[in-house]
Amino acid sequence: MLKKSKLLSAAIFSAATLLAANGQADTMGTPKISAMSILNGLENPWDMAFTKNGDMFFTEKCKGFSVKTSSGKVNKLYGMKGTSGYNSAGDDLFCSGQAGMLGIAVDPNFKKNRRIYVASASTKYHGSGCKDNFDVCNGNIIMRFEVSKDMKSVSNRTDIVNDIQYKPFESDHPFGGPGAHNGNRLRFGPEGYLWATTGDRHKGDVPQHPTLLGGNVLRIDTDGKAHPGNKPPKGFDKRMYTYGHRNVQGIDFRPSDGRAFTAEHGPWHNDEITALVNGGNAGWDPKPNVAGRGDCPDKYCGYMPNQKEGMLPAARAEAGTPMSDERFKDLMPPAWNNNGLSQGTGSAAFLKGSQWGYWEGRLAVGIMGIAFGGTPSGMRIDVIDITKDGKAIKSVIQMPTGLTKRFRGLRLGPDGALYAAVDEGEIYKITARK
Amino acid sequence: MRNFVSAILCFVFLSLSSHAFSGDAGAGEKRYAVNCGNCHGPGGMGLASYPKISGKEVAYLTDRLKTYRSGKRIGPNSDLMIMMAKPLTDVEIDNLAAYLATDPAGKK
Repeated sequence: MLKKSKLLSAAIFSAATLLAANGQADTMGTPKISAMSILNGLENPWDMAFTKNGDMFFTEKCKGFSVKTSSGKVNKLYGMKGTSGYNSAGDDLFCSGQAGMLGIAVDPNFKKNRRIYVASASTKYHGSGCKDNFDVCNGNIIMRFEVSKDMKSVSNRTDIVNDIQYKPFESDHPFGGPGAHNGNRLRFGPEGYLWATTGDRHKGDVPQHPTLLGGNVLRIDTDGKAHPGNKPPKGFDKRMYTYGHRNVQGIDFRPSDGRAFTAEHGPWHNDEITALVNGGNAGWDPKPNVAGRGDCPDKYCGYMPNQKEGMLPAARAEAGTPMSDERFKDLMPPAWNNNGLSQGTGSAAFLKGSQWGYWEGRLAVGIMGIAFGGTPSGMRIDVIDITKDGKAIKSVIQMPTGLTKRFRGLRLGPDGALYAAVDEGEIYKITARK
Repeated sequence: MRNFVSAILCFVFLSLSSHAFSGDAGAGEKRYAVNCGNCHGPGGMGLASYPKISGKEVAYLTDRLKTYRSGKRIGPNSDLMIMMAKPLTDVEIDNLAAYLATDPAGKK
Protein backbone atom coordinates (compact mmCIF):
# COMPACT_ATOMS: atom_id res chain seq x y z
CA MET A 1 0.00 0.00 0.00
CA LEU A 2 2.86 2.23 0.88
CA LYS A 3 4.45 1.48 -2.45
CA LYS A 4 1.19 2.28 -4.27
CA SER A 5 0.91 5.53 -2.38
CA LYS A 6 4.45 6.48 -3.35
CA LEU A 7 3.75 5.63 -6.96
CA LEU A 8 0.59 7.74 -6.91
CA SER A 9 2.48 10.64 -5.37
CA ALA A 10 5.19 10.31 -7.96
CA ALA A 11 2.63 10.28 -10.76
CA ILE A 12 0.89 13.38 -9.40
CA PHE A 13 4.25 15.11 -8.94
CA SER A 14 5.30 14.24 -12.51
CA ALA A 15 2.02 15.49 -13.95
CA ALA A 16 2.29 18.70 -11.95
CA THR A 17 5.87 19.17 -13.10
CA LEU A 18 4.87 18.69 -16.72
CA LEU A 19 2.03 21.18 -16.39
CA ALA A 20 4.33 23.62 -14.67
CA ALA A 21 6.97 23.17 -17.33
CA ASN A 22 4.45 23.82 -20.10
CA GLY A 23 3.11 26.85 -18.29
CA GLN A 24 6.59 28.11 -17.66
CA ALA A 25 7.60 27.70 -21.30
CA ASP A 26 4.88 30.11 -22.34
CA THR A 27 5.84 32.76 -19.83
CA MET A 28 9.59 32.44 -20.33
CA GLY A 29 9.40 33.73 -23.87
CA THR A 30 10.49 30.70 -25.86
CA PRO A 31 10.64 32.09 -29.41
CA LYS A 32 8.66 30.60 -32.25
CA ILE A 33 11.08 29.88 -35.10
CA SER A 34 10.43 29.90 -38.82
CA ALA A 35 12.90 29.49 -41.67
CA MET A 36 12.55 30.67 -45.25
CA SER A 37 14.91 30.23 -48.19
CA ILE A 38 15.79 33.64 -49.63
CA LEU A 39 18.38 32.52 -52.20
CA ASN A 40 18.85 29.14 -53.87
CA GLY A 41 20.79 27.63 -56.72
CA LEU A 42 24.03 28.94 -55.26
CA GLU A 43 27.33 27.05 -55.31
CA ASN A 44 28.75 26.53 -51.82
CA PRO A 45 27.67 29.85 -50.29
CA TRP A 46 30.02 30.51 -47.40
CA ASP A 47 29.43 33.82 -45.66
CA MET A 48 27.20 36.89 -45.65
CA ALA A 49 27.59 40.50 -44.50
CA PHE A 50 24.98 43.23 -44.26
CA THR A 51 24.79 46.98 -44.62
CA LYS A 52 22.57 48.78 -42.15
CA ASN A 53 20.05 49.20 -45.01
CA GLY A 54 19.74 45.44 -45.40
CA ASP A 55 21.87 44.89 -48.51
CA MET A 56 23.39 41.42 -48.20
CA PHE A 57 26.83 40.64 -49.61
CA PHE A 58 27.59 36.95 -49.93
CA THR A 59 30.41 34.73 -51.13
CA GLU A 60 30.34 31.51 -53.12
CA LYS A 61 33.48 29.50 -52.54
CA CYS A 62 34.48 28.81 -56.13
CA LYS A 63 32.78 31.69 -57.88
CA GLY A 64 33.08 35.10 -56.20
CA PHE A 65 31.04 37.57 -54.23
CA SER A 66 27.71 39.21 -54.99
CA VAL A 67 25.19 41.47 -53.31
CA LYS A 68 21.47 41.00 -52.87
CA THR A 69 20.30 44.56 -52.51
CA SER A 70 17.57 45.61 -50.13
CA SER A 71 15.29 45.81 -53.19
CA GLY A 72 15.91 42.12 -53.86
CA LYS A 73 18.12 42.38 -56.95
CA VAL A 74 21.29 40.27 -57.09
CA ASN A 75 24.43 41.86 -58.59
CA LYS A 76 27.47 39.67 -59.22
CA LEU A 77 30.36 41.89 -58.22
CA TYR A 78 33.78 40.22 -58.26
CA GLY A 79 34.59 36.77 -59.56
CA MET A 80 37.45 34.32 -59.31
CA LYS A 81 39.63 32.95 -62.09
CA GLY A 82 37.58 31.21 -64.77
CA THR A 83 34.20 32.51 -63.68
CA SER A 84 31.80 34.50 -65.81
CA GLY A 85 28.98 36.96 -65.25
CA TYR A 86 30.76 39.04 -62.63
CA ASN A 87 31.31 42.75 -63.14
CA SER A 88 35.06 42.24 -62.61
CA ALA A 89 37.34 39.44 -61.46
CA GLY A 90 40.69 38.57 -59.95
CA ASP A 91 42.68 36.05 -61.97
CA ASP A 92 44.79 35.22 -58.90
CA LEU A 93 41.78 34.00 -56.91
CA PHE A 94 41.10 30.28 -56.96
CA CYS A 95 39.43 27.48 -55.04
CA SER A 96 40.76 24.07 -54.09
CA GLY A 97 39.30 21.66 -51.55
CA GLN A 98 38.19 23.67 -48.52
CA ALA A 99 39.87 26.86 -49.77
CA GLY A 100 38.37 29.55 -51.96
CA MET A 101 36.47 32.78 -51.47
CA LEU A 102 35.21 32.52 -47.91
CA GLY A 103 34.68 35.29 -45.34
CA ILE A 104 33.17 38.71 -46.01
CA ALA A 105 32.62 41.78 -43.83
CA VAL A 106 31.15 45.25 -44.28
CA ASP A 107 33.01 48.24 -42.85
CA PRO A 108 31.20 49.81 -39.86
CA ASN A 109 31.55 53.12 -41.73
CA PHE A 110 30.27 51.68 -45.00
CA LYS A 111 27.84 54.53 -45.55
CA LYS A 112 30.79 56.90 -45.79
CA ASN A 113 33.66 54.81 -47.17
CA ARG A 114 31.77 52.08 -49.15
CA ARG A 115 34.35 49.50 -48.06
CA ILE A 116 33.97 45.75 -47.76
CA TYR A 117 36.54 43.05 -46.92
CA VAL A 118 36.83 39.58 -48.43
CA ALA A 119 39.07 36.60 -47.66
CA SER A 120 40.18 34.24 -50.42
CA ALA A 121 42.84 31.83 -51.62
CA SER A 122 45.20 33.57 -54.04
CA THR A 123 48.28 32.70 -56.09
CA LYS A 124 49.50 36.31 -56.10
CA TYR A 125 51.93 36.07 -53.16
CA HIS A 126 53.26 32.53 -53.52
CA GLY A 127 56.62 33.96 -54.61
CA SER A 128 59.34 31.37 -54.19
CA GLY A 129 57.29 29.53 -51.54
CA CYS A 130 54.63 26.82 -51.78
CA LYS A 131 57.05 24.30 -53.33
CA ASP A 132 55.80 21.59 -51.00
CA ASN A 133 53.60 21.28 -47.92
CA PHE A 134 56.49 22.01 -45.58
CA ASP A 135 57.36 25.29 -47.27
CA VAL A 136 56.02 28.70 -46.29
CA CYS A 137 53.01 29.31 -48.51
CA ASN A 138 51.37 32.73 -48.46
CA GLY A 139 48.21 31.63 -50.19
CA ASN A 140 45.30 33.15 -48.26
CA ILE A 141 44.70 36.88 -48.39
CA ILE A 142 42.29 39.54 -47.16
CA MET A 143 41.18 42.12 -49.72
CA ARG A 144 39.51 45.49 -49.29
CA PHE A 145 37.16 46.83 -51.97
CA GLU A 146 35.05 49.92 -52.51
CA VAL A 147 31.50 49.35 -53.66
CA SER A 148 29.88 51.69 -56.18
CA LYS A 149 26.84 53.67 -55.09
CA ASP A 150 24.59 51.74 -57.47
CA MET A 151 25.85 48.47 -55.87
CA LYS A 152 26.75 47.06 -59.29
CA SER A 153 30.55 47.07 -59.14
CA VAL A 154 33.60 47.22 -56.90
CA SER A 155 36.92 49.01 -57.35
CA ASN A 156 40.23 49.84 -55.66
CA ARG A 157 41.07 46.33 -54.57
CA THR A 158 43.74 46.54 -51.87
CA ASP A 159 45.22 43.38 -50.37
CA ILE A 160 45.53 44.28 -46.68
CA VAL A 161 46.85 40.86 -45.55
CA ASN A 162 48.81 38.69 -47.97
CA ASP A 163 50.65 36.13 -45.86
CA ILE A 164 48.06 33.80 -44.35
CA GLN A 165 49.23 30.22 -44.80
CA TYR A 166 47.77 27.85 -47.40
CA LYS A 167 48.18 24.11 -48.00
CA PRO A 168 49.34 23.65 -51.61
CA PHE A 169 49.44 19.84 -52.02
CA GLU A 170 47.73 16.62 -50.97
CA SER A 171 49.04 14.92 -47.84
CA ASP A 172 48.62 11.55 -46.16
CA HIS A 173 45.67 12.49 -43.95
CA PRO A 174 41.91 12.24 -43.89
CA PHE A 175 40.51 15.31 -45.68
CA GLY A 176 44.10 15.45 -46.97
CA GLY A 177 43.58 17.42 -50.17
CA PRO A 178 45.17 20.79 -50.92
CA GLY A 179 43.43 23.80 -49.44
CA ALA A 180 42.72 22.31 -46.00
CA HIS A 181 42.00 24.43 -42.90
CA ASN A 182 41.92 28.08 -43.87
CA GLY A 183 39.70 29.62 -41.20
CA ASN A 184 38.92 32.86 -43.05
CA ARG A 185 35.84 34.12 -41.21
CA LEU A 186 35.87 37.93 -41.06
CA ARG A 187 33.99 39.99 -38.48
CA PHE A 188 34.25 43.54 -37.18
CA GLY A 189 34.54 43.73 -33.41
CA PRO A 190 32.66 46.25 -31.28
CA GLU A 191 35.75 48.48 -31.17
CA GLY A 192 35.71 48.82 -34.99
CA TYR A 193 38.71 46.58 -35.77
CA LEU A 194 38.63 43.67 -38.19
CA TRP A 195 38.96 40.17 -36.73
CA ALA A 196 40.10 37.39 -39.07
CA THR A 197 40.34 33.71 -38.31
CA THR A 198 42.96 31.42 -39.83
CA GLY A 199 43.58 27.65 -39.89
CA ASP A 200 46.52 25.32 -39.31
CA ARG A 201 46.55 24.27 -43.02
CA HIS A 202 47.69 20.72 -42.02
CA LYS A 203 51.20 21.92 -41.14
CA GLY A 204 52.26 20.65 -37.74
CA ASP A 205 54.25 23.65 -36.56
CA VAL A 206 51.86 26.38 -37.72
CA PRO A 207 49.47 26.83 -34.76
CA GLN A 208 52.23 27.43 -32.20
CA HIS A 209 54.51 29.24 -34.67
CA PRO A 210 55.42 32.79 -33.65
CA THR A 211 55.41 34.34 -37.11
CA LEU A 212 53.51 32.15 -39.59
CA LEU A 213 49.88 33.24 -39.81
CA GLY A 214 47.76 30.12 -39.36
CA GLY A 215 45.77 28.80 -36.44
CA ASN A 216 45.28 32.34 -35.14
CA VAL A 217 42.68 34.97 -34.65
CA LEU A 218 44.01 38.23 -36.04
CA ARG A 219 42.86 41.66 -34.88
CA ILE A 220 43.83 44.31 -37.40
CA ASP A 221 42.84 47.72 -38.68
CA THR A 222 41.34 48.28 -42.10
CA ASP A 223 44.82 48.65 -43.62
CA GLY A 224 45.85 45.27 -42.22
CA LYS A 225 48.03 46.62 -39.42
CA ALA A 226 47.98 45.16 -35.93
CA HIS A 227 45.67 46.57 -33.29
CA PRO A 228 48.01 48.35 -30.85
CA GLY A 229 46.45 46.53 -27.93
CA ASN A 230 47.19 42.99 -29.16
CA LYS A 231 49.31 41.12 -26.62
CA PRO A 232 50.77 38.02 -28.27
CA PRO A 233 53.85 36.46 -26.60
CA LYS A 234 57.20 38.14 -27.18
CA GLY A 235 58.52 37.53 -30.69
CA PHE A 236 55.10 36.70 -32.13
CA ASP A 237 53.49 38.55 -35.03
CA LYS A 238 51.68 41.53 -33.55
CA ARG A 239 48.59 40.95 -35.68
CA MET A 240 47.78 37.88 -33.56
CA TYR A 241 45.12 38.32 -30.89
CA THR A 242 45.21 34.59 -30.10
CA TYR A 243 47.15 31.59 -31.41
CA GLY A 244 47.17 27.79 -31.10
CA HIS A 245 43.89 27.22 -32.94
CA ARG A 246 43.06 24.43 -35.39
CA ASN A 247 40.55 25.82 -37.87
CA VAL A 248 38.35 28.61 -36.61
CA GLN A 249 35.32 29.17 -38.82
CA GLY A 250 33.11 30.90 -36.29
CA ILE A 251 33.64 34.14 -34.37
CA ASP A 252 31.31 36.69 -32.84
CA PHE A 253 31.15 39.12 -29.94
CA ARG A 254 28.91 38.77 -26.90
CA PRO A 255 26.50 41.70 -26.80
CA SER A 256 26.64 42.04 -23.01
CA ASP A 257 30.41 42.61 -22.73
CA GLY A 258 31.86 42.63 -26.25
CA ARG A 259 33.98 39.55 -25.55
CA ALA A 260 35.05 37.49 -28.57
CA PHE A 261 34.05 33.83 -28.76
CA THR A 262 35.17 31.35 -31.41
CA ALA A 263 33.59 28.17 -32.73
CA GLU A 264 36.09 25.64 -34.00
CA HIS A 265 36.15 22.26 -35.73
CA GLY A 266 37.68 19.40 -33.77
CA PRO A 267 39.85 16.67 -35.30
CA TRP A 268 37.33 13.79 -35.12
CA HIS A 269 36.76 14.84 -31.52
CA ASN A 270 35.95 17.92 -29.46
CA ASP A 271 34.50 20.78 -31.45
CA GLU A 272 35.00 23.78 -29.22
CA ILE A 273 33.49 27.12 -28.23
CA THR A 274 36.14 29.31 -26.62
CA ALA A 275 36.12 32.70 -24.93
CA LEU A 276 39.18 34.46 -26.27
CA VAL A 277 41.81 36.06 -24.06
CA ASN A 278 44.14 38.66 -25.54
CA GLY A 279 47.41 36.86 -26.29
CA GLY A 280 45.96 33.50 -25.30
CA ASN A 281 46.77 30.04 -26.60
CA ALA A 282 43.94 27.75 -27.75
CA GLY A 283 46.22 24.77 -27.11
CA TRP A 284 46.29 23.01 -30.48
CA ASP A 285 49.75 21.65 -31.25
CA PRO A 286 49.80 18.91 -33.91
CA LYS A 287 53.61 18.76 -34.19
CA PRO A 288 55.27 15.35 -34.13
CA ASN A 289 57.63 14.32 -31.33
CA VAL A 290 56.05 16.44 -28.60
CA ALA A 291 53.61 15.68 -25.78
CA GLY A 292 54.57 12.01 -25.78
CA ARG A 293 53.92 11.53 -29.50
CA GLY A 294 56.31 10.10 -32.07
CA ASP A 295 56.48 10.77 -35.80
CA CYS A 296 53.25 11.34 -37.72
CA PRO A 297 52.33 11.15 -41.43
CA ASP A 298 53.72 14.19 -43.25
CA LYS A 299 54.78 15.71 -39.91
CA TYR A 300 51.20 16.46 -38.88
CA CYS A 301 49.61 14.62 -35.95
CA GLY A 302 46.19 16.22 -36.21
CA TYR A 303 44.30 12.96 -36.76
CA MET A 304 46.39 10.66 -34.63
CA PRO A 305 46.23 8.06 -33.33
CA ASN A 306 44.71 5.63 -35.75
CA GLN A 307 43.92 8.23 -38.38
CA LYS A 308 42.73 5.80 -41.06
CA GLU A 309 40.15 3.89 -39.06
CA GLY A 310 36.87 4.62 -37.37
CA MET A 311 37.15 4.79 -33.61
CA LEU A 312 34.62 5.29 -30.86
CA PRO A 313 34.31 9.04 -30.31
CA ALA A 314 34.88 8.80 -26.57
CA ALA A 315 38.05 6.76 -27.09
CA ARG A 316 39.30 9.20 -29.69
CA ALA A 317 38.57 12.20 -27.46
CA GLU A 318 40.66 10.49 -24.79
CA ALA A 319 43.54 9.39 -26.99
CA GLY A 320 43.65 11.93 -29.80
CA THR A 321 45.87 14.96 -30.13
CA PRO A 322 44.11 17.33 -27.70
CA MET A 323 42.29 20.38 -28.98
CA SER A 324 43.18 22.23 -25.78
CA ASP A 325 46.47 20.84 -24.50
CA GLU A 326 46.74 21.55 -20.80
CA ARG A 327 50.55 21.59 -20.89
CA PHE A 328 50.30 25.20 -22.11
CA LYS A 329 50.28 27.70 -19.26
CA ASP A 330 48.57 30.36 -21.40
CA LEU A 331 45.77 27.96 -22.43
CA MET A 332 42.29 29.37 -23.00
CA PRO A 333 40.08 26.51 -21.81
CA PRO A 334 36.99 25.91 -23.95
CA ALA A 335 33.53 26.73 -22.65
CA TRP A 336 32.03 23.78 -24.58
CA ASN A 337 33.42 20.76 -26.38
CA ASN A 338 30.36 19.24 -28.07
CA ASN A 339 30.36 16.31 -25.64
CA GLY A 340 33.63 15.13 -27.09
CA LEU A 341 32.29 14.92 -30.65
CA SER A 342 33.52 16.54 -33.83
CA GLN A 343 30.56 17.39 -36.03
CA GLY A 344 31.85 20.32 -38.06
CA THR A 345 31.16 23.41 -35.97
CA GLY A 346 31.26 25.99 -38.68
CA SER A 347 30.03 29.39 -37.61
CA ALA A 348 28.55 31.33 -34.75
CA ALA A 349 26.39 34.38 -34.12
CA PHE A 350 25.03 35.86 -30.91
CA LEU A 351 21.26 36.36 -30.93
CA LYS A 352 20.23 39.97 -30.37
CA GLY A 353 16.82 41.48 -29.81
CA SER A 354 13.82 40.71 -27.63
CA GLN A 355 12.19 38.68 -30.42
CA TRP A 356 14.56 35.88 -29.43
CA GLY A 357 12.91 35.71 -25.99
CA TYR A 358 15.08 34.11 -23.35
CA TRP A 359 17.52 33.07 -26.08
CA GLU A 360 18.56 36.72 -26.45
CA GLY A 361 22.29 36.98 -25.81
CA ARG A 362 22.91 33.28 -26.43
CA LEU A 363 25.24 31.96 -29.11
CA ALA A 364 23.76 30.28 -32.18
CA VAL A 365 26.25 27.77 -33.57
CA GLY A 366 26.01 26.25 -37.05
CA ILE A 367 27.03 22.62 -37.29
CA MET A 368 27.65 20.58 -40.44
CA GLY A 369 28.77 17.04 -39.63
CA ILE A 370 29.29 14.10 -41.96
CA ALA A 371 28.76 11.20 -39.53
CA PHE A 372 31.55 8.65 -39.44
CA GLY A 373 33.49 6.59 -36.94
CA GLY A 374 30.51 6.34 -34.59
CA THR A 375 29.84 10.10 -34.55
CA PRO A 376 26.26 11.07 -35.38
CA SER A 377 25.64 13.63 -38.09
CA GLY A 378 25.40 17.29 -37.09
CA MET A 379 23.36 19.41 -39.53
CA ARG A 380 21.73 21.64 -36.96
CA ILE A 381 21.94 24.96 -35.19
CA ASP A 382 22.61 24.83 -31.46
CA VAL A 383 21.72 27.69 -29.14
CA ILE A 384 24.27 27.82 -26.35
CA ASP A 385 23.94 29.67 -23.06
CA ILE A 386 27.47 30.55 -21.98
CA THR A 387 28.36 31.49 -18.41
CA LYS A 388 29.36 35.08 -17.66
CA ASP A 389 33.02 34.14 -17.11
CA GLY A 390 33.08 32.33 -20.48
CA LYS A 391 34.51 29.15 -18.99
CA ALA A 392 31.46 26.89 -19.18
CA ILE A 393 27.95 26.62 -20.55
CA LYS A 394 24.62 26.45 -18.81
CA SER A 395 22.62 24.75 -21.56
CA VAL A 396 22.45 23.73 -25.20
CA ILE A 397 19.16 23.79 -27.10
CA GLN A 398 18.73 22.71 -30.69
CA MET A 399 17.02 25.46 -32.68
CA PRO A 400 13.82 24.02 -34.23
CA THR A 401 14.41 25.30 -37.74
CA GLY A 402 12.87 22.25 -39.41
CA LEU A 403 16.01 22.07 -41.56
CA THR A 404 18.61 19.32 -41.76
CA LYS A 405 21.40 21.09 -43.61
CA ARG A 406 25.13 21.71 -43.44
CA PHE A 407 25.07 25.11 -41.72
CA ARG A 408 28.24 26.75 -43.04
CA GLY A 409 27.72 30.42 -42.24
CA LEU A 410 25.57 32.24 -39.68
CA ARG A 411 25.13 35.99 -39.43
CA LEU A 412 22.60 38.16 -37.65
CA GLY A 413 20.99 40.64 -40.01
CA PRO A 414 20.14 44.26 -39.24
CA ASP A 415 16.50 43.15 -39.01
CA GLY A 416 17.32 40.85 -36.08
CA ALA A 417 16.81 37.69 -38.14
CA LEU A 418 19.46 34.98 -38.28
CA TYR A 419 20.76 34.29 -41.78
CA ALA A 420 22.24 30.89 -42.57
CA ALA A 421 24.30 29.82 -45.59
CA VAL A 422 24.13 26.06 -46.16
CA ASP A 423 26.43 23.93 -48.29
CA GLU A 424 23.38 22.67 -50.18
CA GLY A 425 23.38 25.98 -52.06
CA GLU A 426 20.90 28.14 -50.22
CA ILE A 427 20.73 31.06 -47.82
CA TYR A 428 17.94 30.97 -45.25
CA LYS A 429 16.37 33.70 -43.20
CA ILE A 430 15.46 32.39 -39.75
CA THR A 431 13.08 34.57 -37.81
CA ALA A 432 11.92 34.47 -34.22
CA ARG A 433 8.80 35.82 -32.59
CA LYS A 434 7.59 35.53 -29.07
CA MET B 1 14.74 -23.84 -86.83
CA ARG B 2 17.73 -24.75 -84.67
CA ASN B 3 19.24 -21.31 -85.35
CA PHE B 4 15.99 -19.63 -84.40
CA VAL B 5 15.79 -21.47 -81.07
CA SER B 6 19.43 -20.64 -80.37
CA ALA B 7 18.76 -16.98 -81.05
CA ILE B 8 15.75 -16.97 -78.71
CA LEU B 9 17.73 -18.73 -75.98
CA CYS B 10 20.60 -16.29 -76.45
CA PHE B 11 18.24 -13.30 -76.17
CA VAL B 12 16.61 -14.71 -73.03
CA PHE B 13 20.01 -15.42 -71.48
CA LEU B 14 21.30 -11.93 -72.23
CA SER B 15 18.14 -10.34 -70.88
CA LEU B 16 18.38 -12.31 -67.66
CA SER B 17 22.10 -11.57 -67.35
CA SER B 18 21.50 -7.89 -67.82
CA HIS B 19 18.75 -7.95 -65.23
CA ALA B 20 20.87 -9.92 -62.79
CA PHE B 21 23.74 -7.44 -62.95
CA SER B 22 21.82 -4.15 -63.01
CA GLY B 23 21.10 -2.45 -59.73
CA ASP B 24 17.82 -1.39 -58.23
CA ALA B 25 17.74 2.41 -58.26
CA GLY B 26 14.98 2.53 -55.64
CA ALA B 27 16.99 0.41 -53.23
CA GLY B 28 20.03 2.50 -54.05
CA GLU B 29 18.17 5.67 -53.11
CA LYS B 30 17.31 4.17 -49.73
CA ARG B 31 20.92 3.11 -49.14
CA TYR B 32 22.17 6.53 -50.24
CA ALA B 33 19.92 8.14 -47.63
CA VAL B 34 21.64 6.20 -44.82
CA ASN B 35 24.86 8.22 -44.83
CA CYS B 36 26.11 9.07 -48.34
CA GLY B 37 24.20 12.35 -48.50
CA ASN B 38 25.92 13.72 -45.39
CA CYS B 39 28.94 14.50 -47.56
CA HIS B 40 27.79 14.33 -51.18
CA GLY B 41 24.52 16.14 -50.53
CA PRO B 42 20.98 15.55 -51.76
CA GLY B 43 21.04 13.23 -54.77
CA GLY B 44 24.84 13.35 -54.93
CA MET B 45 24.93 17.05 -55.90
CA GLY B 46 28.36 17.53 -54.27
CA LEU B 47 29.00 19.71 -51.21
CA ALA B 48 31.99 21.61 -49.88
CA SER B 49 35.06 19.56 -50.85
CA TYR B 50 33.01 16.40 -51.50
CA PRO B 51 32.52 15.84 -55.23
CA LYS B 52 29.38 15.64 -57.30
CA ILE B 53 28.55 12.00 -58.03
CA SER B 54 25.07 12.46 -59.47
CA GLY B 55 24.82 11.47 -63.13
CA LYS B 56 28.08 9.51 -63.31
CA GLU B 57 28.07 6.28 -65.31
CA VAL B 58 27.27 3.00 -63.60
CA ALA B 59 30.63 1.48 -64.56
CA TYR B 60 32.53 4.42 -63.07
CA LEU B 61 30.55 4.45 -59.83
CA THR B 62 30.81 0.69 -59.39
CA ASP B 63 34.53 0.72 -60.03
CA ARG B 64 35.14 3.58 -57.60
CA LEU B 65 33.14 2.02 -54.80
CA LYS B 66 34.77 -1.39 -55.25
CA THR B 67 38.22 0.21 -55.37
CA TYR B 68 37.55 2.07 -52.11
CA ARG B 69 36.13 -1.09 -50.59
CA SER B 70 39.38 -2.89 -51.41
CA GLY B 71 41.25 -0.28 -49.37
CA LYS B 72 43.03 1.32 -52.32
CA ARG B 73 43.50 5.11 -52.20
CA ILE B 74 42.27 7.19 -55.14
CA GLY B 75 42.23 10.86 -54.15
CA PRO B 76 42.51 13.03 -51.06
CA ASN B 77 39.34 11.87 -49.29
CA SER B 78 40.18 8.19 -49.76
CA ASP B 79 40.52 7.47 -46.05
CA LEU B 80 36.92 8.57 -45.52
CA MET B 81 35.57 6.71 -48.54
CA ILE B 82 37.44 3.51 -47.64
CA MET B 83 35.70 3.56 -44.25
CA MET B 84 32.32 4.19 -45.86
CA ALA B 85 32.73 1.60 -48.63
CA LYS B 86 34.10 -1.27 -46.55
CA PRO B 87 30.71 -2.53 -45.32
CA LEU B 88 29.00 -2.29 -48.74
CA THR B 89 27.91 -5.51 -50.45
CA ASP B 90 28.10 -6.05 -54.21
CA VAL B 91 24.32 -5.63 -54.42
CA GLU B 92 24.42 -2.36 -52.47
CA ILE B 93 27.13 -1.03 -54.78
CA ASP B 94 25.10 -1.99 -57.84
CA ASN B 95 22.02 -0.32 -56.35
CA LEU B 96 23.88 2.86 -55.43
CA ALA B 97 25.38 3.05 -58.90
CA ALA B 98 22.00 2.52 -60.51
CA TYR B 99 20.47 5.31 -58.41
CA LEU B 100 23.24 7.86 -58.91
CA ALA B 101 23.43 7.17 -62.64
CA THR B 102 19.88 8.49 -62.97
CA ASP B 103 21.28 11.95 -62.10
CA PRO B 104 18.98 12.50 -59.11
CA ALA B 105 20.53 15.89 -58.31
CA GLY B 106 19.90 17.08 -61.84
CA LYS B 107 16.24 16.14 -61.59
CA LYS B 108 15.63 18.23 -58.50
